Amino acid sequence: MSSELERRLEGLLAEAPEPEVGAGEEALHRALHALLPVAAPRRGARTAVLVFAAAVVLLAVAAGSLAAAGALHVSFGSKTKQRPTTTQLSLPAGAHGIAAIVDGRLTVVTKGGFRLQGLRATAATLSPHALFVAAGIGRSLVALAPDGRRPWSQAAGGRVIAIAWAPDAIRIAYVVHAGRHFVLHVIWGNGKHESTIDGSVRPVQPSWRADSLAFAYVGAGGKAIVYDLGHRKRRVFGPHAPVTRLAFAPVGRTLAVATPGSAILGGKTVAGGDIEALGWLGGRLVVASELGVTPPLVRIFATDGLQVGSFRVPGRAVAVTGGYVVARRGQVLAARSPARSVSILTVPPKATVTDVALG
Amino acid sequence: MREPSDRDLVRRARHGDREAAAALFRRYWRDAWRAAFAITGRRSLADDVAADGFERAFAALGRFDERRPFGPWLHRIVANRALDLLRAERRLSDEELPDTPDLAPPHAAGDRSLLTAVAELSLERRVVVVLRYGVGMTPKQIADALDLPVGTVNSRLARALEQLRESLEVEHVE
Repeated sequence: MSSELERRLEGLLAEAPEPEVGAGEEALHRALHALLPVAAPRRGARTAVLVFAAAVVLLAVAAGSLAAAGALHVSFGSKTKQRPTTTQLSLPAGAHGIAAIVDGRLTVVTKGGFRLQGLRATAATLSPHALFVAAGIGRSLVALAPDGRRPWSQAAGGRVIAIAWAPDAIRIAYVVHAGRHFVLHVIWGNGKHESTIDGSVRPVQPSWRADSLAFAYVGAGGKAIVYDLGHRKRRVFGPHAPVTRLAFAPVGRTLAVATPGSAILGGKTVAGGDIEALGWLGGRLVVASELGVTPPLVRIFATDGLQVGSFRVPGRAVAVTGGYVVARRGQVLAARSPARSVSILTVPPKATVTDVALG
Repeated sequence: MREPSDRDLVRRARHGDREAAAALFRRYWRDAWRAAFAITGRRSLADDVAADGFERAFAALGRFDERRPFGPWLHRIVANRALDLLRAERRLSDEELPDTPDLAPPHAAGDRSLLTAVAELSLERRVVVVLRYGVGMTPKQIADALDLPVGTVNSRLARALEQLRESLEVEHVE
């Protein structure tokens, strides 16, 4: 039964302000852009072929129209003749897609049936669940979608060399090589509201915090900087040596960084050697380091810095992404975990692999 | 003609039907905004939080269990986003949050003493009070939205009401 006080509260709070009409319209616009249709299940080879064909046509038409509008700075013709760079590409368990840059060309495969190979690109990453691909193409950041939705392009003023999509899919951080500087930008996942965050940074891939409200990057001085989007504030963290890699944990706020000779977690050096890759497998930090002539040693640490496991990978560790350590041996890139190893990509001999992302 | 159910709209929106998504938005925008305002106490933050809540909800619609009601799920996203923002603000500024300056509507002077008492509640208590009496959520819905046990919501409500009564009595005596 309502008391007198409760009735007074209801009366008082019923008179609380109403949202303004303009705010609702803008919010509706934003919300509709965030709408991500559920990917259709695979329906056999015919569907895959049709989806692939549609994606290629869509990409060509969209890129052509964007280029015509001056928004996409790429060219078509003999100079950009597409050629296959990979001979095999498959997804490990739990992954929704893979994007890689092999010899300067983009290769993408997603579970939803999107497959693209051979487009010139400088960097690439996948959105959460691999529903979209963001790539540096020409002097633009371009988002591609496999489901017929219109892609977008943002003139970047230089080559995009690193891209990181926030875990909530709402924003993308990317680094552009613009003249003498590397410039850090953030843009919404719908291609709107681009802003420059830092006019001089190091060419290191940013890493988003799990809550997507902040991300870490490496400032021009080599320090790790955490940028809070809500408050537009920076906090500088930094070992004495310049930071070469950084990775936020997928849960919580723990940031791990690598310098040329060490991996640092919570201000404590947990591993030495030449750090080849650093990232997280679930809630544990994974550091792949070269210690000499032996294959890279992958060490696993709890968030308190205690080593809880290790394994070796043949060849060279390329990245820690999507819950796997991606290692390259000769022409084969394999996704490795302590329990399993899956070949995901076969590349031509002597091909350069500059970006691999499992999503 | 019968209004489509939330479930129908969610199902269609999940498959990219923008009209269905817009209908869902219109159905819940006011409540989501008021919940955001109730927690943040600031109009500008409420705009951002409610918009962000919808954005996150629509982006995550593919993972949403259609058998569950949409409203409480959305409120949960909005409430958590608002609380995260306030906590982050508090952590970064190392200062107490300001009271709820926007909470007072210009014509609420008649119950200003109650309004002042609500503004003096702790964030945790104020949130449950405003969600209960301002947005009209049940204790169970608040518990779902804030990821708290129902018992905790009920005890916070009871303590908040007790504190409000005491504040009003003190003012009456003075």
